[in-house]
Amino acid sequence: MRDKLKALVLDGSRDGDDLTPIAVLGVTSALSERVEDVEWVKLRERTIAPCAGCFGCWTRTPGECVIGDGARDVLRSYVGSDIVVYVTPVTFGGYSSQLKKMLDRFIPVLDPRFTIVGGEVHHRLRYRRYPKTIGLGTLPSPDPEAERLFAGLVSRNGLNVHQTVESSILVGVTDPVSARDSARRLLDRAV
Amino acid sequence: MNALILIGSPKGRNSASYVLGSMLAGYLQKHGATVSEEMVHHGIRSKDGTDRLLDAVDASDLVVFAFPLYVDSLPAPLTCLLERIAERRALIVPTRAPRLAALVQCGFPESHQCDTAVGICRVFAERTGMRWAGALAMGMGGSLGGDLKKLPGGGKNIFRALDMASESLAVGGDIPPEAVGLFAKPLMPRWMYTAFGNLGWHMQMRKNKTRRPMTYRPYAQG
Repeated sequence: MRDKLKALVLDGSRDGDDLTPIAVLGVTSALSERVEDVEWVKLRERTIAPCAGCFGCWTRTPGECVIGDGARDVLRSYVGSDIVVYVTPVTFGGYSSQLKKMLDRFIPVLDPRFTIVGGEVHHRLRYRRYPKTIGLGTLPSPDPEAERLFAGLVSRNGLNVHQTVESSILVGVTDPVSARDSARRLLDRAV
Repeated sequence: MNALILIGSPKGRNSASYVLGSMLAGYLQKHGATVSEEMVHHGIRSKDGTDRLLDAVDASDLVVFAFPLYVDSLPAPLTCLLERIAERRALIVPTRAPRLAALVQCGFPESHQCDTAVGICRVFAERTGMRWAGALAMGMGGSLGGDLKKLPGGGKNIFRALDMASESLAVGGDIPPEAVGLFAKPLMPRWMYTAFGNLGWHMQMRKNKTRRPMTYRPYAQG
């Protein structure tokens, strides 16, 4: 951890989504209580192209995507953060396309070469340290199957950066105070 | 039986997903199906293209998502299509309930790394009134470029699995468990795949005349 702690909130809300903005409010509020610098990135307002699948970020310009758009700023911020929170509507157990368009562009932060993590093959790390990954999903009503998948997905994403991670889902939470309280509990577990 | 293969790789016709999707299409045709293919990443860029994809889904008896694993789940453009299909099917009472199958490959050796993505496809089918017909998932996708017959073992497990799956899908059935198991079988030992893979990254860098070292840290705070 650095002297001045920084958190990055990746807001994967979609147009017309009422719940995720409440979760974002809650988590930024809870983070502000323990971190000096909280950066909120509303992904649907950023121009971020889908990953082209070219592996140029590994074999042409190692560490940097060949597409020079808004994803580069987000990656720079990610590497400079102590905590990253993925906030998203749980979409069939996964992330929204808004969050996913950014996460697909995260591979430059890894080294392409393989290593074993938790008995499975993953990629080596490019940097010495990575922010603690936290997932916060929203759902309008309980959906145990989607909730289980979401927790598993966040956990697998943690393995990619050789971490154990924490996640939580706010079900039908429309009140920012309740969202903040839930986010506090999640942060207590995670950091 | 109308089948639609949706290629979810941004590399389109140059992708392993296209190779596998086209092979499945061939087998489905052999078993009597009419098959069309669409590139999701092209279509989803425009409203007209998205409408064309949605219309194609509505007109199909069987939809197959053929895609690479991206960060443990579906690539973003395919995720976006799932959102759009769900929106349309929530607004307009669908007259048909197409079956959905998935054909997933990942660049890691272990096929089980595709499980979350397969789960997302299954939940999507269940929440949108489609009928889940199962998935074929494999690891070692990095070795699928070019002629599959040159793979160790001649790729026979892949061919057999696709044939068995298509035979069942073409008559309204699900992907048989035997096909799932065959498709998931490793193409080579894990150590061999990772050794060739690691060598491949270096060779690619040399081919690209890359000036930076592989370990370069452009955001050097970390």
